[in-house]
Amino acid sequence: MTGIINLDSAQGHLSAMIVIGLAVFFGTIGGRIFERLRIPQVVGNIFIGLLLGQSVLGLISRDTIRSLESFSLFALSVIGFLIGGELHRDVFRKHGRRFLTIVLAEGLGAFIVVGLLVSWATWMITGNLATSIALGSVLGAISSATAPAATVNVLWEYKAGGPLTTTVFAIVAMDDALALILFSFTAAAATMLTGHGTIGIMASLGHVGWELAGGMMLGTVIGYLLNLLLRRAQDRDSSLAFIIGALALSTGIGKLIGVDTILASMALGFTIVNLAPRRSDKAFKIVEEFAPPIFVLFFVSVGAQLNVGGMAGWMWIIAFVYVIARTIGKFLGADIGSRLAKAPESVRKYLGLCLFSQAGVAVGLSISASHRFSGDLGMAIIMIIALTTFIAQIVGPPSVKHALKKAGEVGMRITEEDLIASYRVADMVNRSTKNFPPDTPLETVLSHIAETDELAYPVVDDTGKLLGVVSLNELRRSFMSRELNKFLVVYDMMEPPTSFVTEDTPLTQAVSLMKRLEVDFLPVVSAQDRNRLVGMLEQQKIRQAISREITRRTRVAEGETA
Amino acid sequence: MTNGDGMRLSDYLTRDRTMILKGDTKSAVLDELIGALAGYIEGVSRKQLTDAVNKREALMSTGIGLGIAVPHVRMEGVSDAFVTVGISREGIHDFESMDEQPVRIIVLIVAPHDRHDLYIKLLATVVSLLKESSLRSRITAAETPEEIYTALTGDRT
Repeated sequence: MTGIINLDSAQGHLSAMIVIGLAVFFGTIGGRIFERLRIPQVVGNIFIGLLLGQSVLGLISRDTIRSLESFSLFALSVIGFLIGGELHRDVFRKHGRRFLTIVLAEGLGAFIVVGLLVSWATWMITGNLATSIALGSVLGAISSATAPAATVNVLWEYKAGGPLTTTVFAIVAMDDALALILFSFTAAAATMLTGHGTIGIMASLGHVGWELAGGMMLGTVIGYLLNLLLRRAQDRDSSLAFIIGALALSTGIGKLIGVDTILASMALGFTIVNLAPRRSDKAFKIVEEFAPPIFVLFFVSVGAQLNVGGMAGWMWIIAFVYVIARTIGKFLGADIGSRLAKAPESVRKYLGLCLFSQAGVAVGLSISASHRFSGDLGMAIIMIIALTTFIAQIVGPPSVKHALKKAGEVGMRITEEDLIASYRVADMVNRSTKNFPPDTPLETVLSHIAETDELAYPVVDDTGKLLGVVSLNELRRSFMSRELNKFLVVYDMMEPPTSFVTEDTPLTQAVSLMKRLEVDFLPVVSAQDRNRLVGMLEQQKIRQAISREITRRTRVAEGETA
Repeated sequence: MTNGDGMRLSDYLTRDRTMILKGDTKSAVLDELIGALAGYIEGVSRKQLTDAVNKREALMSTGIGLGIAVPHVRMEGVSDAFVTVGISREGIHDFESMDEQPVRIIVLIVAPHDRHDLYIKLLATVVSLLKESSLRSRITAAETPEEIYTALTGDRT
């Protein structure tokens, strides 16, 4: 301890902090703007990253990005954790083989088509067969990975649920492993082919085996421990702290022992959700709540890393071929795989559209490849993956959204509050309620209510103006004496309307008004003419309609065809 | 007199609000009854009371047959329930009673707006009392308001 402040490191910290602040702030604004344009927010985040980063403004330097690396790893772990949480054991038991078939088909589809077309295109350009095959096969392997983060983010943003959604969750969780395996093979082969080194295929495979198996073991062990802690944690705050701690530990230890940290956190989420489904619901909700700024920062830094300007001409061509080939491969593979797996039609038709995204794993593999292959080959892999990642990240999320819409899976996992917020009073008002003139004898009213299930009836004058409401509660009092029924009229039993809502009122507002007034119903009047009664809004009817709709959507989301 | 719910008519009816009516039309006798109440009810004018009672009568007559009428109204600004009773020796012929018979016993009930329970209980109590023909005869035969009051509240508890 010299007592001298190290200005450099202090400034380094400061600038990273400023970058984090700017990235989260502008990234969120960008996301919101894109959301308005009906483009998934992730694209907005990445776009802001691109503006702030290497490609345009250069505000976020390479050093800063490097200093955020552990943060990015953590963000990926959070994403992995949430994906793991989606993988309930019974879904796997039910669809396990189907998922495996589809993953193999779409992954190998991309691998084969990209491998062949890129090799061919490179050969046409360079005339060097060995280099061409090396580049093609390595890029092919990388192309089989589908980025979970951006894809899954769209699934969450649109509260998707259904066979397509479930399949996408499973695929993004599984095809990174396939990519790692393919990469280890092809990288070893390419190394020998281009005479870049002496790492044998077996050694390379062993390495991958450890990355995958080690990652899963690590996540499972930490998951067990976290589950023990969560069982004891009563309050939200300590649960949150335990979860963040567990994720950080899993990421850090994973990095230290050289295993796949995303896979570790997926295994962590998977363990938690399958050990204690009910309790873990809360845990995942907590994580989802604190995740948004982390995601924003992560995607902004993904965009900031890309340098679109620094690429050689031929690389653009190969990148173009890569994008086309990967698209074809994924589409063909998804189609063939879905047919083989006898997946529902919506999966076969639209799965291909959900698999464009490419990010962390692809970029990571490309960096790893650049360490192996010196010179142009290594550079080409990095630049091509960077550029195509950018394209895939721009095109990917909107096309996932499109697919979800086409498959009818948007909004299928909506909560009650969300659903209520999506309606207006006009959607729920009972327009066929019987209106009673004030002089209606009570006997008439009583014989009417015996045949219906409304809780309250509006009393209106002959111009249609609302005079009051007569509720079952009030009517019940008249049971005291049957004689009364003969000479009382509805006017004697009605209450003047305590409050009313117009048809165009958001349902959320109407529901909270009923709660505040402690009433079970509200008269609804026309927005244009407040003297004209439209009908009655009943809390019980709303609750029934909402829970019917939730049940319907849950059924769809769980893959039963409605 | 109490009924099962502990409703005592005497809590709401006073001696000076029982009367032998002079008028021979519906509006005249209603006005007499309202006049007897007006002094008791703070914050509500005689005109307001008259309007409210008339508005209710316009919807459907409260002449419920057997020579009984039970005009009743709930009003804002009324602090408690009030009952006033009058009898007409000749009978009121324009009350438009359900059985088209002249009305001889009129019980006016005014209740606070938000005391629905009390309102209905009072109505039910009055109606069930007057269902008994012996009581009706005692009341219509009464020589003085005192006797009406006693018949309705006093000697049956």
